[in-house]
Amino acid sequence: MLVLALRSVRQRPGRFLATLLSAFLGAAIVMAFNSLHDTAGAPGVDAVSSETLRTAAGVVGGYGTLLVFFAVASALTVNVRQRAAELELLRCSGATPGQLRRMVVGEALAVALVGTAAAVLPAVLGGRLLVELFQDTGQVAASVDHSFGTVALSSGVFVTPAASAGAALLALRRVTRGRRRTVRRRPVFAWAALTAGAVAASSTFAFSPRDEMLMAFPAQGAILLSVGFALMAPRLLTGVLGRLALGGASGWLAVRNLRRRAGELSGILMALILFTAVSTATLTMQAVESDEVAASGLVKSVDAKNLETLNYTVVGIIVVFVCVMLVNSLYAATTYRGREFGQQRLAGATPGQVLGVVGVEGLVLTVAGLLFGTLAALAGIVPFTVVRSDAVLPGQLAGVWTAVAAVGAAATVGTSLFTARRVLRTPAVRAVGVAA
Amino acid sequence: MVRNRARHDPRTEPAAEALRLVKVTKSYGTAENAVTALEGVTLGLARGTFTAVMGPSGSGKSTLLQCAAGLERPDAGIVRVDGTELTGAGEAELTRFRRGRVGFVFQQYNLLETLTVAQNTVLPLKLAGRRVDRRRAIEILTAVGLGDRLGHRPDQLSGGQRQRVAIARALVAEPRVIFADEPTGALDTRSARDVLALLREAVRVHRRTVVMVTHDPVAASWADSVLFLADGRLAGRMDAPTADAVAERLAHLGDDAPVGV
Repeated sequence: MLVLALRSVRQRPGRFLATLLSAFLGAAIVMAFNSLHDTAGAPGVDAVSSETLRTAAGVVGGYGTLLVFFAVASALTVNVRQRAAELELLRCSGATPGQLRRMVVGEALAVALVGTAAAVLPAVLGGRLLVELFQDTGQVAASVDHSFGTVALSSGVFVTPAASAGAALLALRRVTRGRRRTVRRRPVFAWAALTAGAVAASSTFAFSPRDEMLMAFPAQGAILLSVGFALMAPRLLTGVLGRLALGGASGWLAVRNLRRRAGELSGILMALILFTAVSTATLTMQAVESDEVAASGLVKSVDAKNLETLNYTVVGIIVVFVCVMLVNSLYAATTYRGREFGQQRLAGATPGQVLGVVGVEGLVLTVAGLLFGTLAALAGIVPFTVVRSDAVLPGQLAGVWTAVAAVGAAATVGTSLFTARRVLRTPAVRAVGVAA
Repeated sequence: MVRNRARHDPRTEPAAEALRLVKVTKSYGTAENAVTALEGVTLGLARGTFTAVMGPSGSGKSTLLQCAAGLERPDAGIVRVDGTELTGAGEAELTRFRRGRVGFVFQQYNLLETLTVAQNTVLPLKLAGRRVDRRRAIEILTAVGLGDRLGHRPDQLSGGQRQRVAIARALVAEPRVIFADEPTGALDTRSARDVLALLREAVRVHRRTVVMVTHDPVAASWADSVLFLADGRLAGRMDAPTADAVAERLAHLGDDAPVGV
């Protein structure tokens, strides 16, 4: 089965591109940040520098592992779903479920190892860049040299393949067993996340404006709330769509498509909600904090600077990953719809109308994602600004939100339309599989 | 895009000749290894007729249907549907040409999975921006025996039922010509008979013109006449066909000299 797995990867490298990209990015980030552990552990590094390096490595390393897992899982779920026919054929030819599992996991491992190997050099350069960054801001002593050692390497070699294998198992289970069981368990998690988020956000009021921990609670609150919304994505989407009536043939068709595909699309909506909430909340709060410090004329402490660097790095990583996830799942999902588009065209839809349907679908998803993501972000931002600066809505919000919304909309609508245009190049008759 | 400027309007009286092909030629592939699918096919079909197109695999019957239905542009020759010549270039223009003139029934039904039976039936009207007469749609769905399945999705229907939805969809738009590509190819004999009866009814009752590509002599025997195709050329015609006569003729198709119709 492993031989079959390797052959299957070699025959269709294109299909594994998304998985490879996720694994590569993940491994690069995880290794780059874990190399800070190596750097901190080197002899002759002072305590402050060491602490800075270890905090960064710990926080981002943890986030990174989680993100690798989700990104690879999303890429693989799409991959496995697209190959349902192939897997069914293998099952019919006598492959046991265990053999299928070994094949899919084997493929994932092979792809993850290739991704990790390719990521070593970028990770070394990235780690060096990080240390220089910390040195420029004075958080790390100039004498510290970057070193890329066992912690970094082993984290790459173990974390990425392990996350990939786990993600592959999850993807296989999701596809072969349907989603009945997880759907039933979700509301509990969703409500738990929402409650915890609300508690965290409101506990902001218990802190004094100068407290160093002030930002932690509203930030966690916004993230937890967005996780809660994201888990409820299918239901939120159905709720929004139930009230939606759009004019025109394209709008009519788009709403009906979305209603039926709410379950499939919830992954994309989930990513959008998380992306909007995390980036809006973190960037706005950091901007408010920096402006307040600047206004008071104080110099930032090393801890405050660390927090700022971390905030920006974490948001940067999340943005990159969520964009990769969004683009990948939308690309795959849209490619998969060639047959459906063909059927629409044969029923009398012009290519423009098909693109209109795809565009409206993307727009509805974007608006829903932005709406719930912004709600979660505001739940964190408002308590923070009330405590920190006596305003309710910070002036920095508008600019940050516009940028976040623009990136989200461009990724969602842009990918859908670009892919749909490519898919439409196949003649309609061939697309629906009626052989000429 | 349409040289004959008579704008298509479903209410105007249709032309006496529903379909006319003049020296239609179509080949696939690049210059060196081009495969000629149709070679100078000329034919004319009167309004209100039911014609079957038969031929062995690779004889060009599907290409003929696609060229005649405006799904593909022929390399050379003229295609005229309901008196209007097909001249558009891009897909959007071809689509606009097909609307109201051409309806389809495919072997694989090609219903949209996200829409109900009733929504699938009115989809062509919606896309063409025409008024949707729900009563008429329900009437036609009832006539094909699906009056109690309006809210079902295609995946809740049997193959025969899906094909009847496809026929209802083709009828609701009131096209001049209905093209059917192996409409019974995926059906059991009983469902196939129902579908063929409905196609014949579309001709007899609704005065539509039906062109059906098939490889099944029994299906072909439901038509008024059969056109035989071999190696991209017309190879004969049979009126009032019987299944046995069609099968016999099909078996000796190579013996016939090419004939124009």
